[in-house]
Amino acid sequence: MSAVHDLKPQQFYAETRQHEVHKMRMMMVDGNLTTNARTTESGVSARALRDGYWGFAAAPVADAATLQRVENKAMSNADAMSRFGKRNALSLPSATHIGEQVFEGRSPWTPKQCNELLSELHEWCKSTFPQLRSTRFILHDEKHIKHLKNSLGSDVISRIDRAAVYMMMIAEGDDGAPIELMEILSCRGSIADLELTVDALKPKLHTLYDHLQAKRHAVPARAGTQQVIIAPELAGMLAHEAMGHPCEADLVLGGSVAGDLVGKKIASDKITMIDYAHSQNGQSLMIPVIADDEGTPSRDAVLIENGVLRQFMGSRETAAKLGIENSGSARAYAPADEPLVRMRNTAILPGSDKLNDMIADIEDGYLLLKTGNGQADSTTEFMFGISLGYEIRNGQLGPAIRDTTVSGSALKVLSAVDAVSDDMHWECNGYCGKKQPMIVSLGGPALRTRLHMGGE
Amino acid sequence: MEDFIDERARYGLQIMLSVGFDDALVSTEAVTSDELSIAHNEASLLRSTEQHSIALTGIVGGRKASTELTDLSDENIRAAASRLLQDAQSAPVDTANAVSEAQSGRVERGPLTSDADMLALKAQELLDFRANEAQQFQMEEASASHMRVLSKILTSRGSDINENRGWYSLGVMGTARDGEASSSLNYTGGAANALDEAHAADYFGIRTMMHETIAQTHPKGLDEKFSGEVILTPHAACDFLYWLLGQLSDVQLISGSSLYRDSVGAEIAASILSIRSHFDAPGVSATSADAFTVHPVHLLDKGVLNCLLPSQYGSLKTGIAHVPVSNGWEIDAGETALEDMVSGVEHGALVGRLSMGAPAANGDFSGVIKNSFLLRHGQQANALAEVMITGNMAKMLKAITAISRERLDTGSLVMPWIRIPGVVFS
Repeated sequence: MSAVHDLKPQQFYAETRQHEVHKMRMMMVDGNLTTNARTTESGVSARALRDGYWGFAAAPVADAATLQRVENKAMSNADAMSRFGKRNALSLPSATHIGEQVFEGRSPWTPKQCNELLSELHEWCKSTFPQLRSTRFILHDEKHIKHLKNSLGSDVISRIDRAAVYMMMIAEGDDGAPIELMEILSCRGSIADLELTVDALKPKLHTLYDHLQAKRHAVPARAGTQQVIIAPELAGMLAHEAMGHPCEADLVLGGSVAGDLVGKKIASDKITMIDYAHSQNGQSLMIPVIADDEGTPSRDAVLIENGVLRQFMGSRETAAKLGIENSGSARAYAPADEPLVRMRNTAILPGSDKLNDMIADIEDGYLLLKTGNGQADSTTEFMFGISLGYEIRNGQLGPAIRDTTVSGSALKVLSAVDAVSDDMHWECNGYCGKKQPMIVSLGGPALRTRLHMGGE
Repeated sequence: MEDFIDERARYGLQIMLSVGFDDALVSTEAVTSDELSIAHNEASLLRSTEQHSIALTGIVGGRKASTELTDLSDENIRAAASRLLQDAQSAPVDTANAVSEAQSGRVERGPLTSDADMLALKAQELLDFRANEAQQFQMEEASASHMRVLSKILTSRGSDINENRGWYSLGVMGTARDGEASSSLNYTGGAANALDEAHAADYFGIRTMMHETIAQTHPKGLDEKFSGEVILTPHAACDFLYWLLGQLSDVQLISGSSLYRDSVGAEIAASILSIRSHFDAPGVSATSADAFTVHPVHLLDKGVLNCLLPSQYGSLKTGIAHVPVSNGWEIDAGETALEDMVSGVEHGALVGRLSMGAPAANGDFSGVIKNSFLLRHGQQANALAEVMITGNMAKMLKAITAISRERLDTGSLVMPWIRIPGVVFS
């Protein structure tokens, strides 16, 4: 990571980034190792802002001559944009950071160790749960190392490591059709940093199997607006999708409804939501961004404080355009990607309620436990797929419900929150999609609210 | 660059066999792109990238492993091949592991050089169209781009395939605002061999999308739950196509969870639905992911399933005939004018897009309908907000009652509008 060189202060902004991405992915379907792959991607990029226009270039080789060529191309690309007419030059925020981020996880597992775990998991599930139609196990980790320098003086070596294991069981429902359920574990680091032995995973696999058995006899959810408890796993998704994206400064510039709501009450008093840069209460989070990919020192963005919309997440350009403090949220996923405004570790903060009490107080509603994915748009309207949930009747859990989708306006759903549990769940599996993929972490407690459910 | 890609692939194959693999598949690729981006209604960024990579797959004693790297030096390829041999040796033996045999092809397709003036002209046309005819549309992100992919695939079993593909793309994403009122995010785009055949707004439904988004600025919810009809626009119909393709592919076939494992020759959809490959479309590769040259596939003929789509591995695993595929598909045009489809709906919705999770293994789904309009008494009424539909993919494919004459061509996909009754709205 030594190809990037010092950029002298000039009449324009420029940055260079040397970037490596290492990934491992192994998938076992019913004892068959269908994927056994490792990839390494590396390269250099340069970006320049001149006379209000950006130029960007990237190449896969990181030698000095290539870097010089890439810098020149970025500059000539910025100049070529002048054909669109004169544009006001922006005065970008000038904060800088110099430093190297270090992560000392456990020694990565060898392919042999990974294979052995996958085979053991398959064999144990096959012998313990003979009624299963199929099992799938996936091991995945990735590591990003970046060296960024810019014309303002930043010189940052950063790294992000994350790992996830996906465990899926497939059985036959009462009607003979397949039903499935997945458990995901994730952490900062590599696969070696998760507690992955069959013995350690047995309790989770038993729980997964029990839920799957409940799903065999699942009933359809009742369509319409319902009182629900959103488990912590879903609350993180709600935070990220429904209010996180509308609070990204580039989406605000693009017309997100959040742009008109700063200082206004948009949620229950019980809701405080933060996009943490790197740590919470002094503890490092799963996706720690000390300085972003523009060399800006990252800081927390308090998006909602006791129900009031406070701040947006930004980059140098979007912060300058909106006149806001820059949170250092510009991140690029791959070596040939330019930085975009992205979330880091987004969470709704815990409250003081007990989950059991929250369930006991519901006369007629649902407990929503697992989600497959979620989407939202700039109106704050969101949806999640629900892969595991139960009816609640008179304060007691009832039958499982069939896979469904929930939706609503985050503004209405967060305003309707009347209880927030005192626990907290963080995860960092999956990708956030926005032109480029991105690895992020999500966190939250259980929330009791009302939202729209799909069903019969 | 073509010589470099060829030479690196040959070197990679030689090294894979020399370190001890019984069989190997090596593919090299060089990708160059130019992309002119619009952000927030203004031209913003010109981005030029070069990427190259080599992918190595090796089999030793029936054990397989793969790797991919972007440093194509001799030293790095040798080191990667040696590590890969260790990776493979620790994998379980699987007799279905194999590489393609005796495949050959030399494909040259589309514009191979980027025309910077063309990209600038198309970006300006998009900006002018917004400024003159769609001012309420906030162009959050749009782009005009060119991409070129040079690739070489070699296997130890004599396959030797070269591709040299280039194509242009246009895409627009944004919302419409009217004071504090806002539409949902909307977008469209696609790939073409040329961009000089029409105004930029007339590619890939961009003009219609921007106008319709403006008409969605004041959406309303439903007063009551009802059962009615949907007309899926081409974008919404893609969700059904991809669900069906997933059901016919490796993971579902190997795990036994495909609903169509034993349905070849059976009528699995309405007799007005036919689906065929579009592998010669702009930007689409003529080679499958497992290194077989692809040939036209008539997947669904008047509702009858003609084949399943396992890879070579899936085929050897399941005994189902191997059908190499790439990623271009089209649904045949129907006989009903879109206007007549709309006028025939008593109560339902014109569904612009489905926002939902992956359907359940049995095809059940519920999804929020975005960028959609209420249909009432044969007329398009107000735009909809916070409305969900519930159904079953497999049952809905059988329930199709009309397919439009009109289709939207976005390059790799050519899709019509599709009418389906019996959907629950809430």
